[in-house]
Amino acid sequence: MTDERPAADAPAPEAEPSTERPAELERPLAAAEMTLLVDAGSAWTKAALVARTRGRWRLVAHDAQPTAWGEEALRGTLAARIAPVADRRVADRLRQLLGAAPRISCHTPRRAGRLALAAVSVELSGASARRAAESAGWTVEVAATADDGRSLVERLALLQEVDVDAWLLAGGFEAGRADQALEIAGLVAAARGGSGAPVIWAGASSLADEVTLMFEPDAVGVVPNARPSASEEDPLPLRHALEGLLQRVIEPAGTRQHTPVAFRRSVAQLARTTGRRIVGVDIGAHYLTWVRSDEEGAAESRVFAAGGLAAARQASGGPGRLARWMPMAIDELAVADVLQNLNARPATLPQTEDELAIVHAAVRQQLAVALEADGVAGTELDGIDLLIGAGRSLAAAPRPAQAAQMLVDGVRPLGVTQLALDAAGVLPPLGALDDAEIAEGMGVLRDDLLVPLGTSVVCRGGRAGQLLMRIEIHRTGWPAIGPLELRSGQLQVVSLPRGHDAELEIELHNGASLGGPRRTRRVTASAMGGVVGLVLDARGVPLGLPRRTDDRRAVLASWRDTFGREAAVPALDAAMAGVR
Amino acid sequence: MNGATLHRVHLPRGATPSVSANAEVRPEQVLAVRRRPGQPVRVRVTEAFHRPPGQVAALLLARPGQLVEEGAPLARDPQGHELAAPVTGLLLGVSASDGTALIAPLGAEEPVIGHVHGRVRAVEQNAIVLEVPGVVLHGVGGTGEAVHGELTVAVHTPEEELRAGAIDVSATGKIVVGGSRASAETLTRARAMGVSGIVLGGVLDKELRDFEAIQRRRREIGGMTGSFGVLLLEGFGKVGVDPQRFAWLRSHAGRTASLFGAEGLLFVHEASPPPTRRALPRIGERVVAHRRPFQGRAGVLVAELEDLHATPSGIPARMGLVRFEDGRLAPVPMANLDATLVAARG
Repeated sequence: MTDERPAADAPAPEAEPSTERPAELERPLAAAEMTLLVDAGSAWTKAALVARTRGRWRLVAHDAQPTAWGEEALRGTLAARIAPVADRRVADRLRQLLGAAPRISCHTPRRAGRLALAAVSVELSGASARRAAESAGWTVEVAATADDGRSLVERLALLQEVDVDAWLLAGGFEAGRADQALEIAGLVAAARGGSGAPVIWAGASSLADEVTLMFEPDAVGVVPNARPSASEEDPLPLRHALEGLLQRVIEPAGTRQHTPVAFRRSVAQLARTTGRRIVGVDIGAHYLTWVRSDEEGAAESRVFAAGGLAAARQASGGPGRLARWMPMAIDELAVADVLQNLNARPATLPQTEDELAIVHAAVRQQLAVALEADGVAGTELDGIDLLIGAGRSLAAAPRPAQAAQMLVDGVRPLGVTQLALDAAGVLPPLGALDDAEIAEGMGVLRDDLLVPLGTSVVCRGGRAGQLLMRIEIHRTGWPAIGPLELRSGQLQVVSLPRGHDAELEIELHNGASLGGPRRTRRVTASAMGGVVGLVLDARGVPLGLPRRTDDRRAVLASWRDTFGREAAVPALDAAMAGVR
Repeated sequence: MNGATLHRVHLPRGATPSVSANAEVRPEQVLAVRRRPGQPVRVRVTEAFHRPPGQVAALLLARPGQLVEEGAPLARDPQGHELAAPVTGLLLGVSASDGTALIAPLGAEEPVIGHVHGRVRAVEQNAIVLEVPGVVLHGVGGTGEAVHGELTVAVHTPEEELRAGAIDVSATGKIVVGGSRASAETLTRARAMGVSGIVLGGVLDKELRDFEAIQRRRREIGGMTGSFGVLLLEGFGKVGVDPQRFAWLRSHAGRTASLFGAEGLLFVHEASPPPTRRALPRIGERVVAHRRPFQGRAGVLVAELEDLHATPSGIPARMGLVRFEDGRLAPVPMANLDATLVAARG
């Protein structure tokens, strides 16, 4: 990495590293060229050490630890990790060197913006406005709609109690006049009093002037109607307005070092550099960010401030819905307690297999919920070349296959998609650099940036038991594999090691589709290998499960077993033997 | 004594503070008053001015949210004709469909109570900041309103479950320290007996939700009086209170305590420093574990294993070796441990 200085405006989440170099470092000793990439999350801090080794910059170590442990502990862990392989001229000074190393950092926003939402209808204007707000990094603290079943007085009391940073009003179609929208705006004006919090009107444009007059001058910002008609939704202008408002209200100093923003910048740059269409999902303790970028680097992102694992308990359907996705018998009560504990102590680790299964099911659910909430069904996520998973839960999965399964099951990327993991958590810190430096940093780290998991081939369509795909796999210098036949509901994982490419000849049958505008029957695609391999998936989009509990668990267990193929991490017993 | 702790009392919009900075306040003292808007009165502006409903808003002399006085002009037409407000209240707006203005009369004054004693540090727009001479314990969850009362302990050991039978009239108005769990039935009975609040090590999420649902239904049908709060100190599930904390709570039985269920806080007034917690414990320190299968159990960290090791779930992690109080030696991820430190005396 050529950037030898700390990012000037990178805020330190805890102690800023000393700018004074320790005296012993001033001695003419062997130079240590290293840079620390740090992503300080609300629960976990991820750090990656990039250093020059044998003339090249490489990712030499990375670690994640609870943010509450502080930076000194992180440096100690990284120093211990590289000590056995470090140049012995600097081996005894690694901690100091790490302390003095340039640092590129980003962090989770200190807090989310809090919004009160008032709209005419729960299902139409209210739902559109809520989706736009929740994907722009806001949390909706309270929502009142004209059809929420409350009396006017109850609605007023509800709005008066809440402590928020801004108010969002929506309602009325463009074609007609909605008097209820004016009434709900009046209610907000009454409840808001003189609090001074900004108001956004995202309802019928014909009512904008009347709504504006209900508040003090300059209090109301008007954006295009997020729900112009019953069948039409236009959330983009509202989302952009809310993103801008969030920055002005919560973080006027700038958001470049915010992990969700930095992650988007990294994904966009990666797409621009590689000329590929990329979707990145980053799931943390509190935030869930998903980014979609075209090959030009034009990226759109959604930031769900309450979309992370800690919010899994509040997701629609709650623990019952999650329990349905467990391949083993874990009752709903246990699932509820584990989710609550995850919320209460997000920087702890699932210690038992059951808890890990619950956490992984929660990741899958949160990914699916976020995409659903934003109106992006799996069918719209076709034509993606690369799907990147980031965040502690994905990166810390004991087996890469588990991370791959969470991604494929949660996102359901239709078509042929390469899967990769930001295992070291380097994408967000790199995104905190200047535009030109991001590309440079990625170029330097090209071999270590992502862990390739493999490639997924996901199709939809067809009826139960019907043949959907016939796939032949060609690798240079190797005999062809197949044709492999996949019937509706089937899943198969074929070994395709990292660094190996393959050409896939896919024949689609019985109305199966890999997405895209054309309903082609024969498709040829390239697949990249990875630690998991080639995932051939005819389970449909979205995933469906049998009704009967035993059947459902059997199906889920078979999917888990199909994905899981690697050796486990060395067992603890050997290490324990000496201590006993 | 452990100095003072700051506490913010949220003021709903429209509340009027009745204390000023530096004032000494008691737990039951009224810090502010508010008047909730009641059922709105409809004022037929259309008929008064013979105008279509769509033109009524332009005639109003007040904006929604403004207080209008009875008899004061509410609307005026270009000819100078006026319509007086029939009641004093908050103008909610005007219905463009029928041209009526909605005025919500303000109800009786309701007190905003701080539930702690101390000194007013500042009066802000939406909060009163108090200095509380006491210590605060942070829980991991809870439910219910802010309450205060005398602290009392109703179980013999920190692992004991709080049974409905342990709650009797002697607990009325008190904050009761239970053990590892309480059922929805126990919580409902406690509330019915007039208990102010319950402090638990853990509770099943389902039991807490059931209790909240019962309270919600009772509130809807009316007749529910008094306030009640529940605080969880350790986690969800059947989780005992850390024995050190339990001993500290027991030693402070009889003191005034303030419980904020929704915020997960317990203030104990005029108290000695409680055992504190610190992440990343050191070898030899007393620790408490936070995840299953050792959730809520305390012990001593006897070693930290070198390198990363797989937990039973398979996640590679820094592991500590803990000698639990029941004599069992077990590896636990360091991330799942907190050191529990007893404050130095004097």
